[in-house]
Amino acid sequence: MQDPRIRIAAAAILSISAFTSLHGAVFAFLWWLVFTPGLNLVKKNRLVLPLVLMTGFFGIVLELFNGNGISYFIRMTVIILIGMWLYGEQRPGEFLDIGVWLFGDRAGFDLGLVSEMGMQSLTLISAEFERVRLAAKLKGMRWGIRNLIPAGLILVHGALARAEDSAELLAVRGYRGGGTWCPVFFTKSRDIAAGLSAVCVVFFALIPVSEFFILYR
Amino acid sequence: MKITLNDACGIRDSWSLSATGMFNEGIHLVSGDVGSGKSTLALMIAGLFPLSRGCVVKEDVSSCMLSLQFPELHVTGRTLAEECTSWGATADDILAATGLTGRDETSPFSLSRGELKRLHVACVLAKDYNLLLLDEPFSSLDCGEKAKLCTTLERRSQGITIIFTHEQNILPRVFRIWEIVGSRLIDCGRPPDAFLHWHHLPSSIKKLTALGSRPDNISPQDLREAACRIQG
Repeated sequence: MQDPRIRIAAAAILSISAFTSLHGAVFAFLWWLVFTPGLNLVKKNRLVLPLVLMTGFFGIVLELFNGNGISYFIRMTVIILIGMWLYGEQRPGEFLDIGVWLFGDRAGFDLGLVSEMGMQSLTLISAEFERVRLAAKLKGMRWGIRNLIPAGLILVHGALARAEDSAELLAVRGYRGGGTWCPVFFTKSRDIAAGLSAVCVVFFALIPVSEFFILYR
Repeated sequence: MKITLNDACGIRDSWSLSATGMFNEGIHLVSGDVGSGKSTLALMIAGLFPLSRGCVVKEDVSSCMLSLQFPELHVTGRTLAEECTSWGATADDILAATGLTGRDETSPFSLSRGELKRLHVACVLAKDYNLLLLDEPFSSLDCGEKAKLCTTLERRSQGITIIFTHEQNILPRVFRIWEIVGSRLIDCGRPPDAFLHWHHLPSSIKKLTALGSRPDNISPQDLREAACRIQG
């Protein structure tokens, strides 16, 4: 999907649909299968499986104590899949485009810039995490819970150092708030179809299933 | 002991790198622009980057170490002493060699990038690896430390040492020069003949050659000797 406005709006309403009800989650999952690369996306992103497993663990705990664990697991898994798709499709500069398009050159530019820096930081942290894992492997250390504390320290330390550098760079360049940016969007007919389908999904999610199935009543 | 790259190809998004060549014992220099793929090639040789085709064959290489460009990525200890120990080195020796004596309990993250790099390089060189891959080992080091590192590397009596760097001024005497140009690894040959084909030839060597005194190798000593020949 090329238009980030439709992509983000679709992801937001599909997440709400999935969170609201089980059948909303099912419809959102069907949407995900039709309009995203689907399983290829899951294969590419190594975080999907651990996140789904973690959700599964909490689902089991919920099922044991509250009895709503399976529904929780399905709804959260769909939200994770939508989130992964959104993250995978995001391109540098899109948040700045959307921020300025929505809120103008002042607040919109600032919001967009903060979002861009956040996304950049996330990408770097992900790459650094891989390198830290490799470095531990090179030392002959088994990767486990014990490594997470030094790894976390490295990542936080690196992110803070980069944030400081960015802040200094912006200050040196005379940034005080706001800026000029001309957002450009490319909208394909498939984007519009996907956006309209996402709106339909949220309607289905909010309307009780029994309203459709008269015989059921 | 040797490493053979048989059309080894690594792909990352729309970028790719292919490499063919043989690395024998001695010091090899791999140069290239920033972003040309030096770090990826280092990972490929270390077996830490999946190859899309081809292979890397290691003969009689029983131990391998890759030093990443950013020393903080290697840190696993909470203190300098723990960090040295995690490399299998003696903390006192390493701290003394790096001018950090008495700072055993200091956190590695409280060191400056230069100090941490110095500590990291000392830890890496404390052991004799058959294959030593150094990704930008000279970055963050001052001239004195760079020269010291060159001396230490030249003293390595055996094994294959591959230096991936865009450093142009202070380099050790090398056995062979390679470079990455246009997503391909190119074997420039042995110095001084390699200077004829080397795109990233340091300007000091270019000047000396233009003045009719081509250095025998790329170390500062070789450059000094070449300069002395001009002066007669």
